[in-house]
Amino acid sequence: MKRKLMLIGAALAFSAGAALAQDKTDVTIVLNEEVDLMEPCMATRSNIGRVVLQNINETLTELDVRGDKGLMPRLAESWEQLDGGVWRFHLRKGAKFSDGSDFDSADVEHTLKRTFSEKIVCESARYFAGMNLTYKVVDANTIDISSDPAQPILPLLLTLIPIVPSDTPEEFIRNPVGTGPYALTEWNVGENIVLTRRDDYWGEKPAVTKANYVVRGDAAVRAAMVAAGEADIAPTIADIDATNPETDFAYPNSETLYLRLDHSKPPLDDIRVRKALNMAIDKQAFIGTLLPAGTVEAVAMVPPTTLGWNGDIKPIPFDLEGAKKLLAEARADGVDVDQKIELVGRLNNYPNSTEVMEALQSMLADAGLNVDLKIYEVAEFEKLYSKPFPEDRAPQLVAAMHDNSRGDPVFSMYYKYHTEGTQSGISNPKVDEAIAAATAASGKEREKLWSDLFAYLYEDQVNDVMLFHMVGIARVATRLNWRPTIATNSSLQLSEIGFN
Amino acid sequence: MYRLLKDRTIASFVSLVGLIVMVFFLSRLTGDPTNLFLPIDASQEMRDQFRRLHGLDQPLFNQFLNYVGDVLRLDFGDSVRRAQPALDVVLPAFLWTLQLAVITMVLVMGCAVLVGSLAAFRVGGFFDRLASFVSLIGASAPDFWIAIVVIVIFSVNLGWLPTSGTGSVAHWLLPIAVLFVRPFGLLVQVVRGSMITALSSAYVKTARAKGVKNLPLIFVHTLRNAMLPVITVMGDQAAALLNGAVVVESIFGFPGVGKLMIDSILQRDFNVVLAAIMVTAIAIFVMNLLIDIAYSLLDPRIRY
Repeated sequence: MKRKLMLIGAALAFSAGAALAQDKTDVTIVLNEEVDLMEPCMATRSNIGRVVLQNINETLTELDVRGDKGLMPRLAESWEQLDGGVWRFHLRKGAKFSDGSDFDSADVEHTLKRTFSEKIVCESARYFAGMNLTYKVVDANTIDISSDPAQPILPLLLTLIPIVPSDTPEEFIRNPVGTGPYALTEWNVGENIVLTRRDDYWGEKPAVTKANYVVRGDAAVRAAMVAAGEADIAPTIADIDATNPETDFAYPNSETLYLRLDHSKPPLDDIRVRKALNMAIDKQAFIGTLLPAGTVEAVAMVPPTTLGWNGDIKPIPFDLEGAKKLLAEARADGVDVDQKIELVGRLNNYPNSTEVMEALQSMLADAGLNVDLKIYEVAEFEKLYSKPFPEDRAPQLVAAMHDNSRGDPVFSMYYKYHTEGTQSGISNPKVDEAIAAATAASGKEREKLWSDLFAYLYEDQVNDVMLFHMVGIARVATRLNWRPTIATNSSLQLSEIGFN
Repeated sequence: MYRLLKDRTIASFVSLVGLIVMVFFLSRLTGDPTNLFLPIDASQEMRDQFRRLHGLDQPLFNQFLNYVGDVLRLDFGDSVRRAQPALDVVLPAFLWTLQLAVITMVLVMGCAVLVGSLAAFRVGGFFDRLASFVSLIGASAPDFWIAIVVIVIFSVNLGWLPTSGTGSVAHWLLPIAVLFVRPFGLLVQVVRGSMITALSSAYVKTARAKGVKNLPLIFVHTLRNAMLPVITVMGDQAAALLNGAVVVESIFGFPGVGKLMIDSILQRDFNVVLAAIMVTAIAIFVMNLLIDIAYSLLDPRIRY
C-alpha cells in the first residue's frame, strides 16, 4: 500500500514537472492583475507596462533608476535643444521591428500622431496635456519635435511613448510590434502571455530567452508559486507572506499616501488646524505594523528619487499635546474646529487600507477632532477626489495615493496643486506661479524651483497631511540575479534579469 | 414526460426573461464605464466618443431594446476588452467549469453515498462518528482557506502538485479536491439522515427477516428510496459549481466562467458578463430538467 502511494506521488510529481518543463534561461513571472490590453500607447498603466514597456516596444529615451545616469538614450542616440523650443533627436541606426521592417524617423512621427490622435484614447497622451506638439522629419534618422509652450523636459516625457511601426492602425491593437529585445509570441487571454527573445535585436542579447507571464489574483498563491519553483518573480506579494529574507525584497513603489485637504472649507483653511492634523498622527506607529517595514514618512507628493527632492525638509513630528494646543488656539479665535470633518478613503486601495483609515480616524479623534470615516468604491471615490467637487460637501480629508516614478515633479504638481489642477484642494496664486516657473525651467534652476516649492507647500503652508512613501514587496527566485526598483511598479525589463 | 418537459421549459423561460431584464439594468447601475476605461482626466470629448463607439450614448431604453434583439439572435456583442464576440469568450471558459463541476460532482456523489450509507447503518458507531465529524468540518470550512492550506502543504512543502494553473492532469487535483470538500460534507449528512429514516421502515425489516445480506440491503433495497432528498441537495450544489466556482477558480488561476465573470465585472465588460450569465442560466435550467427526470425515474409515484 505504502509503495503504491509513493508511486502515485512520484507519478503526480512527474506530470507536474513535465507541465512546467522549461529551459534554464526561461522565466515565469506571476502578475497580480490581468493584462486587459496589449496596446503600447496604454503602457503607462502598470499592468500593461510591466509586459510591454522596453520588452516589446522601446522608447526614444529611458530613465536610469538603478544608477544615477539620469536620462539615457534608447532608440534616440542623442538629442539637442535648438532655438524656439525645438528638440532634435538623432535616432539609432540599424534597429529593426520584430516584423522585419527598419526603424526610422517616419515611425516616430507616426507614433506621435497616433498617440495624440482623436480616434483612440491613449493613456500616455495625458502627460502632454496643455502642450501642442509639432514634428518634422529631417531625414531618415533625425526628427525635430517642438512644443508650444516650450517644454524643457521633452526628452524625459518621451520615456512615456513606446514607438510602434508606421503601418500601425489608429485603433487599439492586440499584437504589438516593436523594436525591443522580445516579441509577443503567445497571448491566451485570461491564462498566459509569452514573450520570446529576438535574434535580430539591435542591442546586447539579454540572458532571458523566454518569459511566461501568468496572473494569480491571490497574493499567497503568487508567493507560493515562487517558493515552489513554478515562478521566478512575483512583483507584488503581501507583507504577511514575505517571510523569507533570501527571496523577498521591499522596494519603493513610487506611490505616496496623503490626505488631500480642501482649503475652501473651514476649518481646513486655518493653518493651525492643518498643522494640528499633521501633528496628531503618529506615523511611526504604522511602519512595520499596518504598513510594511521600509515604508518612509513623506514630506512631498513625489518619492525621494525625483528631481528637485528637498532633503532639508523634515517630517512634522508626532505631538499630540501640541496638536491639542493649536486646536485650542484656533477655537479661541472663533474657528469652528468641533464641526464634523469627513475622512474619505478608497476601498482596497492598498493592503490594510481600511485598518490604516480606522487608525487615522482614531488618532485624529484623540486630538479632539470630530472625524467621520467614509470609505467608497473607486468610482464613488473619484467623484470626491477629482473636480468638480460636490457643492454641498463637508470639510474633507481625502486619503489618496499618487504614483510618480517618472523622475520629474511636473507629472504631479499641476494636477495636485495648481488652481486648475483636477485633484487640487488649493487655489494659491503663488503656487500657480511657482509651478509655471518650474515647468518652464531646465537644469539646476528647475531643480531649485521644485525644491523651493516642496518646502513652501510642506513647511510654510502645511498644505496637506503628507503620510507615507509606500513600498511594495517582490519575491524573486534565488536562481535569478535581479532586484526590484522603484520602476518595478510600472515596468519590468526582462533584459535586466541575470542568472546566478 | 412530454408534459413535464413542456411545463418546465415554460416556467424556466419566464425566469430567463426576468433575468435578462434584471441583469441589463443592474449592470448599468454599477457606474459609468468611461471612468474605468479612460484616464481620470479624459476630456468630455473622449468620453462622448467612447460612449458613441459602444452605443452607451443612446437612451437606456433604446440600449435595452437593442440588447434584447441581439440576445434573441444569440448575439451578445463583442467583448470590449478582448475584441472578439462575447459568446466566443464565454463558451470555452464555461467548458472548463463544466468539466470541473462534472468531475467533482461525480466524485462527491460516489463518496458521499458510500460514506453516508455506511454511517447510517450503525448509528452512533465509530465509523458514524468519524464520518459525521469529518463531514461537519468539510461543510463548514471556507474554501479559500482550504485552498491556501493545500497549496502550502502539497505544492510548497511536499512539492507533489503544481500550485495553480492548467496544463497537466496534476493541475486538476487540488482545485477538484478543494471543490469536493464542501458538497461532500453536506451530502454525507443528507445521505446519512435520509438512510436512517429509510432503514427503519417496514420493508427493510421484512427484507432482513427474509435473510437479505447487509450490503445488498443498503445499496440495492434502501438507497433508491433514500435518494430523493439527496438528488435535491446535489442539484443545488452542482448549480453553485456551474455558476462558477469563483473563489477556487480565482485562487488556482483556472480559466473557468467564475473567474471570467469576476474579471469582466471588474473591467465593466458588460457583454461578457451578460453572455456568461445567460450561458450558466441555460445550463442550470437544463440541469434542473435532468433532476426532475431523475426524480420521476427514481420514484414511480411522481408523475407530472
